[in-house]
Amino acid sequence: MIITPERFKTLIEAYGTQAQRWPEDERQLAIAYLQLNPSAQRLVKEYQELDRLLDHHNIPSLTLIEKRVLSNTHRLVRETVVDRLLNWLVPHSERILGWIWRPALAAAFPLVFGIFLSNYYSFGIEQSGHSLEEELYMLSLNDYAEIQQW
Amino acid sequence: MTDDSLLMQAIQKGDTSAYEAAVAQHVKSISHYAFRMLRNTKDTEDITQETFLRLWTHADRWNPDKASLTTWLHRIAHNLCIDYLRKDKSSLSDNIDDVDKIEQPDYADEESEERLAALTQAISELGERQRSALVLNHYHGFSNKQIAEIMDVSVDALESLLARARRTLKTQLVQKSEAHNKLLKAPTRFQEKS
Repeated sequence: MIITPERFKTLIEAYGTQAQRWPEDERQLAIAYLQLNPSAQRLVKEYQELDRLLDHHNIPSLTLIEKRVLSNTHRLVRETVVDRLLNWLVPHSERILGWIWRPALAAAFPLVFGIFLSNYYSFGIEQSGHSLEEELYMLSLNDYAEIQQW
Repeated sequence: MTDDSLLMQAIQKGDTSAYEAAVAQHVKSISHYAFRMLRNTKDTEDITQETFLRLWTHADRWNPDKASLTTWLHRIAHNLCIDYLRKDKSSLSDNIDDVDKIEQPDYADEESEERLAALTQAISELGERQRSALVLNHYHGFSNKQIAEIMDVSVDALESLLARARRTLKTQLVQKSEAHNKLLKAPTRFQEKS
């Protein structure tokens, strides 16, 4: 394996100027190439400022987030089925419309269940015993003419 | 058998303490990766939480011959971040509550601060895959093969992503620096009058 000028350029552009970031199998050859080539040294110098800035590009400490994830994890693996059902019904969310349908659905469930049951069971309530045809027949016998009172 | 394998075997059997140990071990790296990708604490927390939820529910999918546990977790986080950024770009915000103050480098002066701000801006304007490659390479110290595995690309494609990312950052910083210098060299009204 040899390091060509093109390959060295790719290494610098892709992995930066710090040798410990270069691919392990090419590192020693690339270091030797750098030591011998002024053009390679100029290229490294060009990219050094970018690497220095990247090194100092810090992010804030995320300790609170990490703690919350850990405690949620603890809760997640230890919660019971009832806990999970409750969490599903009333999730911790800032979007009210996003979760309000769940309690509404839970509240509507007994109603749907009641309608379903009443369709199949009489619960001891006696019906009139007349069929629809009989009802219609009896209605037809009624005298709806107004009684004229003299 | 590696430590990862033992840990994952225990997790697959439903061992909650093994799971908590794995989370404690990797939460910092995953949350930092997510924050560098999303720059938003709320989404960082959601993505981190989802990554570890998948560790619990999909533990049986981990293949020790293919990837280490950290590579596998970063791959999950990477996919979640990419999906999130592609789906919900409109909701991206700079919500950075619940974080401690960013530590400033020792040499911090006005110009360096400006250059760091320009770098932050330039990084946020990179494509998701270029940003991910750069973050995994520069801040997480993964090897090129590990990053290729995380991102599901070839090493050549990864090098191309990284090179484009760095070239873009360098160009933008140079442009910013030139603009800054021009501004400094421009005569003020007072100087013009005198």
